[in-house]
Amino acid sequence: MFQQLFFNGIIAGQIYILVALGFTVIYRTVKFFHFTHGVVYAAGAYLAYTFFILLKINPLLCFILSIILAAFLGIVIDRFVYFPLRKRKTSNLVFLLASFGVFIFLQNLLQLIFGAQILTLRTGPVKEGHYFLGAVFTDIQILIIVSSLVLFFLCWLFIQKTKIGKAIRAVSDDPIGARVVGINSEKIIMIAFAIGSALAGAAGILVSLETNIEPTMGMNAILKGIIASIIGGIGSIPGALLGGLFLGLAENLGIWHIQSGWKDAIAFAILILFLLFRPSGIMGVKTEKEKL
Amino acid sequence: MEYLIHILIIAGIYTILSFSLNLIVGYTGLAALGHIAFACVGAYTSSLLALNFGISPWIGLIVGAILASILGAIVAYPSLKLKGDYLALATFGLGVIVYSIAKNWIGLTRGPMGLPGIPSFSIFGYQISNVWSYLILVSVFVVITFIAIRNITSSPFGRILKGIREDEIASQAMGKNVNRHKIIVFVVGAFFAGIAGSLYAHYISFIDPSSFTIMESITVLLMVVFGGMASLKGSLVGASLLVILPELLRFLGMPSSVAAPLRQMIYGLLLVVLMIWRPQGLIGKYKFK
Repeated sequence: MFQQLFFNGIIAGQIYILVALGFTVIYRTVKFFHFTHGVVYAAGAYLAYTFFILLKINPLLCFILSIILAAFLGIVIDRFVYFPLRKRKTSNLVFLLASFGVFIFLQNLLQLIFGAQILTLRTGPVKEGHYFLGAVFTDIQILIIVSSLVLFFLCWLFIQKTKIGKAIRAVSDDPIGARVVGINSEKIIMIAFAIGSALAGAAGILVSLETNIEPTMGMNAILKGIIASIIGGIGSIPGALLGGLFLGLAENLGIWHIQSGWKDAIAFAILILFLLFRPSGIMGVKTEKEKL
Repeated sequence: MEYLIHILIIAGIYTILSFSLNLIVGYTGLAALGHIAFACVGAYTSSLLALNFGISPWIGLIVGAILASILGAIVAYPSLKLKGDYLALATFGLGVIVYSIAKNWIGLTRGPMGLPGIPSFSIFGYQISNVWSYLILVSVFVVITFIAIRNITSSPFGRILKGIREDEIASQAMGKNVNRHKIIVFVVGAFFAGIAGSLYAHYISFIDPSSFTIMESITVLLMVVFGGMASLKGSLVGASLLVILPELLRFLGMPSSVAAPLRQMIYGLLLVVLMIWRPQGLIGKYKFK
């Protein structure tokens, strides 16, 4: 039982890591809670559903197309909603509320188009899993773990080693200084939204291979993504990894003796404890200290 | 006609919620996102007391409101340490936890099955069960809440609240106990939200956790922001318009599978538009900075 819960925690953690990672890349450049990230994740799953089940395109092509469109959705949201707010230099709270608005709008748009019923990307029968160290796991779960770690590593390399990654870090550390040395911060923000949203879309597709697609799936994902980011240390990329794993394990081991319906309550209890007693998270990020 | 009165009753209950949230968000400037949790506590307390122990809904209403206030004091605790979007997130989390308790503590709340057959209010043996008499009852509570919150906000106490909103450190420097004021604001706001929840439960006569989702909290916040921050008239207008206008969709003959998401889409779009162009709302005196 313990091994199975531990393994489930790792799997759940992978998805939280991907959502938190995309969220973190965006957060680093704009410094507010991009809540709509969750609906981009759901949109990724629905796009894959449209291409794969409805239009019957080749799976790999579906994956790539959906991710590109998810990235595009992220850029559109930034241009039409956040850009006007950025020009007015409003507080983070206004950004968060506007983000809620877009979230509600898009989630219900998905429901209007696809209906409220549960959809799935699975086509064949469910295959029996493998047994390993007292836990059962399926091929798709292995795919989730591998692709999540690969995406994480690629993203980390991109941020640390490329010129654009360096520019993202510059905008994150000191937006005015970055502008002084000639970095176009609007362009960098756009790239960050594209990368972050692509990661969200990928996470959405991976999840829908394993479980179901429904319009409300984005809410849970973004909440857990934000919680993982804050636990790990907001804006820190290794923090997203640690926070995601920690949250996945805590939720799944926490329901060892109580019903599984309490997962959300456990996640938020951890969030509130961290906000109150260790707002800088596991990695000890101090950037937003003046606010806490 | 009965249907029209029903809409007005729902608008009245939302107005009470908006008044009480406006005290916290509009007048004191604390971004609280879990307001429906207080209504949830009020609704479940008075319903359970009435169903399990046959206690009069009037006593249940008061007990529910008091329990909601206690929860308010707990929710106030993060507001002493957190600000802005972080406070919004923490209160959001407390809202999810309360919803989760209502949904999962099956032994107490019957979980998603809900509580059917909640009795209605009665005065001197006269059952307040038809819509007209209930409209009067809700209106009385709307007026009581209005007067209470107007008196609070126009008193010296209310001026300190606005002081906290505009500049917390300056208020502290003037010798005001900021923490105590924040807690009182949450306790009072939660008290009236608890009353609203109880009124809702005894009117509909059935409650389940789905009436108290986090979406409802955002809807109430939207009503406050739309009508106007720090303006009680604004909250009245905001709550009434946002309850009544979506009903027009029904008159256009839309099936509810289209009307329900469309209504939420309008809410979402409205929130974005307000944030971009008019963060102080229709007749508000304050906007999120």
